[in-house]
Amino acid sequence: MSTDDAFAEAYRAHYWAVSRFVARRLDAPAHEVEEVVADVFSIAWRRRTELPDAPLPWLYGVARNCLANTVRGLGRYRRLLHRLGNHEAAHGRQTVQSPDAERPGSWVHEALDRLPAGDQEVLRLTAWEELTVEELAVVLGCGRSAAAMRLHRARRRLRAEIDRTRTTVSVRGGGDGHA
Amino acid sequence: MRDELELLRAANPVPADDGRWRDRPLDATAQRALNRLLHSTRTRRARRRLVLRAEAAVLALVAVLAFTLTDAGSSPAVAAPSALVPHAGRPVPSLDGLARIAEALARTAGPQDGPRRGSHLQSWSLSMGTGPDTASPVAVPEERITRWNADGSGSELVVATDPQHPGRPVIHDDEGRWRTVSDGKVLHRAAYPAGSGARHDGLAARTRPPTDPTALRALLASLYGAADGDGGDADAAAVPQLLMALSSFRQEWTPGPRETAAIVRMLADTKGLRPAGAVTDRLGRRGQAFVHDGPDGAMDATRQMVILDPRTGQLLGTEITFTKDLPDFRITAGEVMSYEAWMP
Repeated sequence: MSTDDAFAEAYRAHYWAVSRFVARRLDAPAHEVEEVVADVFSIAWRRRTELPDAPLPWLYGVARNCLANTVRGLGRYRRLLHRLGNHEAAHGRQTVQSPDAERPGSWVHEALDRLPAGDQEVLRLTAWEELTVEELAVVLGCGRSAAAMRLHRARRRLRAEIDRTRTTVSVRGGGDGHA
Repeated sequence: MRDELELLRAANPVPADDGRWRDRPLDATAQRALNRLLHSTRTRRARRRLVLRAEAAVLALVAVLAFTLTDAGSSPAVAAPSALVPHAGRPVPSLDGLARIAEALARTAGPQDGPRRGSHLQSWSLSMGTGPDTASPVAVPEERITRWNADGSGSELVVATDPQHPGRPVIHDDEGRWRTVSDGKVLHRAAYPAGSGARHDGLAARTRPPTDPTALRALLASLYGAADGDGGDADAAAVPQLLMALSSFRQEWTPGPRETAAIVRMLADTKGLRPAGAVTDRLGRRGQAFVHDGPDGAMDATRQMVILDPRTGQLLGTEITFTKDLPDFRITAGEVMSYEAWMP
């Protein structure tokens, strides 16, 4: 199979997985998600000779770098809109709402948000992208044992945050979970 | 107590089996982006071959250029076209009226009257950057013809051309770098043998366009995430996404009278499109313009126009125009962001 064919196959197989990866991390409307995904595959195309046999973790690695650039760019864009006046975007009304407080997932998100950024990413990659430790190592650009250690520590911290959240909710709300 | 990873998995905000980003075959947008990446190398390779051949023909080429590159040929056709101005002088037909005309034609349509897979369009779009050092927006005009036959054979042709500036060099987006090509330059050409269709399809291409407006709206919602209409205020706010979805679907299929009737009725049932008058589109065709001035989501700075044939209801084109200055993009109000002109 030629490099171009391998790229096309990876694109078809993983386009939606990469889209979800971006959508989970970019608090933005769908068209911005699509733009970032287009950038991810455009960069992957230029680097297609490096495409490994299992391309998805590698694509996630490319997507992480793209997102870092995009978030910096969006910061500039939103500041501009803010100067322009009463735009929806400047007020964040077009952004995806965080999970409703009534939904059971919301307090897990809150617990996740309180962790250091590195821990959050390791946990998202494991729980939402369902990566193995080996794949995690590819995305993070580290060795397997380092990835395993980072996951272990992140899980421990998340557990502690979840326990803390539950205790707080229970004390404030009499244990019904609707504080 | 559940394991912390299990809890986190259950709180996945973007699941793989539901919602806009669920697993499914590529949609038209994703397929087009892939085609652009793949054919960019093919055109480069073709160019390399051309360079080798060109040495032999260089003297003849110089003579041809000297002859053709007169005043019309010296500057690329990058200037933004002016926005179309509808004239509301005579009684302006309503979308409902056009839908009734289209429905009457649909009732007399025969089995040979479509729909047909593939499309023919001329488009022009503005490439914008943002930030203090951003360059001025650049116009990218193209003509695209895609044909698929019943036996699965097909062809694709993409040509750089601007109908408003025949003969002038045209700006072409070459993997994010701008270069000038001659008018009519073939950017992509492919022929697919019988049986190829299935390998080049997204779900949109495999789904025959509905002849029922409600089913069409539901399909556009499921394929492209356009909001499923309820006829209320939220429906009006969803017009920009609906037109974008319609454009994507129109690239896959050329509708016949029955599908056209469904399109016009769907637009008539959608709140938020007002009749704006008669207009002559960029291919010189007479049309009726319907405009949406309402919110467009993130920027709230555009006007959407859809142009229909007053005799048949056929979708002739769409145009998006800026309604506000956007200094960061070096855009001024009134400039055209994009247009598409559809051909039968």
